[in-house]
Parts: sequence; C-alpha cells; structure tokens
Amino acid sequence: MENFLLLTHPATGGLATLAALWVFVDTLNANEASEARIKKASLICAGLIWLTYFLGGYLYVMDYAADKEIIKAGPWAFGHNYFMEVKEHVFLMLLLLATYLPIAAFDGIASNKTARKIVLWVSGLIVPTSLSMEGSGAIISLAVKIGLLFKMKGG
Amino acid sequence: MEQTELGKYTRSFGLSLGITSVLSALLVILKETNEATVLAWMKTATLHHWVTHGLINLVVFVVLGFVLSKPNNGDGVKISANTLSICIAGSVIISAILIAGFFR
Repeated sequence: MENFLLLTHPATGGLATLAALWVFVDTLNANEASEARIKKASLICAGLIWLTYFLGGYLYVMDYAADKEIIKAGPWAFGHNYFMEVKEHVFLMLLLLATYLPIAAFDGIASNKTARKIVLWVSGLIVPTSLSMEGSGAIISLAVKIGLLFKMKGG
Repeated sequence: MEQTELGKYTRSFGLSLGITSVLSALLVILKETNEATVLAWMKTATLHHWVTHGLINLVVFVVLGFVLSKPNNGDGVKISANTLSICIAGSVIISAILIAGFFR
C-alpha cells in the first residue's frame, strides 16, 4: 500500500501540473470555443491536487514516521529538516490556489479580460509550485535511500 | 462586448486566498516556535498537526471567501483585477519565502 501511494501521489501531482499548464496556455487565447475546455481543465487540476492531498497526506500521516527516522539518522538529514518541512507547508498554499482556479475560470473568461488575467496568474503560480513539490519529493525519497545505505554500512 | 469587472466570488475568494496564504505561513512559524503549546494543541486536535493546519486553512479560506462576498449590499468586496493579481501573487510568494526562510 505504501509503495502504491508513493508512486501515485507524485503521478497525480504531475498530472495536475499539466492541467494547470493547459489552463494557462489555453487562457492566453481564450474565446467562446475554448471556454468550456478551460473550465474542465481547471476542475481537473483542482480535483487532481485534492487527490494528491489525500494520497500524499495519508502517506505522510500514517507511514512517513519510519522514513523520517531513517532520513534524520543519515547523511541527508536536510531531506526531512528542510525539504519535507517546506514541502508539507507550501503544499497547503498549492491546495488553496488549485481550489480557487475553477472559481476564477468560471467567471466568463471568454468575454472578461480581467478574469483571464486572474486565471493566468493563478495557473501560472500553480505550475512552478507543483514542480517544486515534485523536486522536493525526489530529494526526500533519495534521502531515505541514502539513509538506508548508510544504516546498512553501519553508519 | 468585453467585460472588465470580476465576479464577486472571484474577488472575495481571491482576496481570501491571499489572506489565508499569509496566515498559514505565520501559523507555521507560530506552531514551530511554540511546540509545547500551539504545536501540542494542533497535534491533539486531529490525527496530526499538519491535518489540523490544513483544516484551519480551509475553514479560514471558505469562511473569509463568503464573508468578503457580502459587503456592498451583497455585491462583494471592491478590488481591481490588478490589485487582486498583486495580492494573490505577492502573498503566495511572500508566504513561500517565509516558510523556506524559517526552515533554512
């Protein structure tokens, strides 16, 4: 179960990033033909971020304690002390951004220039924030691996 | 004809997002610097302090979003798109810097 969650939560996060990028690019030239598509993409983005929150959150709350001990005892203790601490708290802002995205996207963006501007800002913030979550996750999983190797060598 | 005014929920929840984001970053600093009181309470309130933190954020975001949609005879808080964009982007960036700087 833990391994399944380890694989699925960055996958849903990655797909959410693509959905946000889709919203951003489509909104640059939004018109009546693309409005429905942008609305759907914004809902997909929000849904995937919420799914990532539940999958990653379950893993973090129920299973992460053992990994945390391994990381903190190893040479890459910053994997937890910095990257996980920042990741778990910045993610909460990402959740707010993704929840807000459909609210702005449903504000008649085909005929409302100002709503398009807000959608561009929000989707534009989601993409780099999500990517930084993916990068932090990679560092944390590598910190566990290095911690285990360190432990096996009697460190 | 091109519209130039944002809907009331775009304005109210956008402003709520900005405020909640900064409050969330300040809550990180508050709980991490008060482990015996704030963090201890957040740990016992739910399964985990992070779950409590997430719930506080969501409640503040939703309540503030609806509260800010009520002023001006139900027309919502008045804010221009430029100011709202600056508020959202600025608060998210400042919050991320506060969190990243705190754990450095």
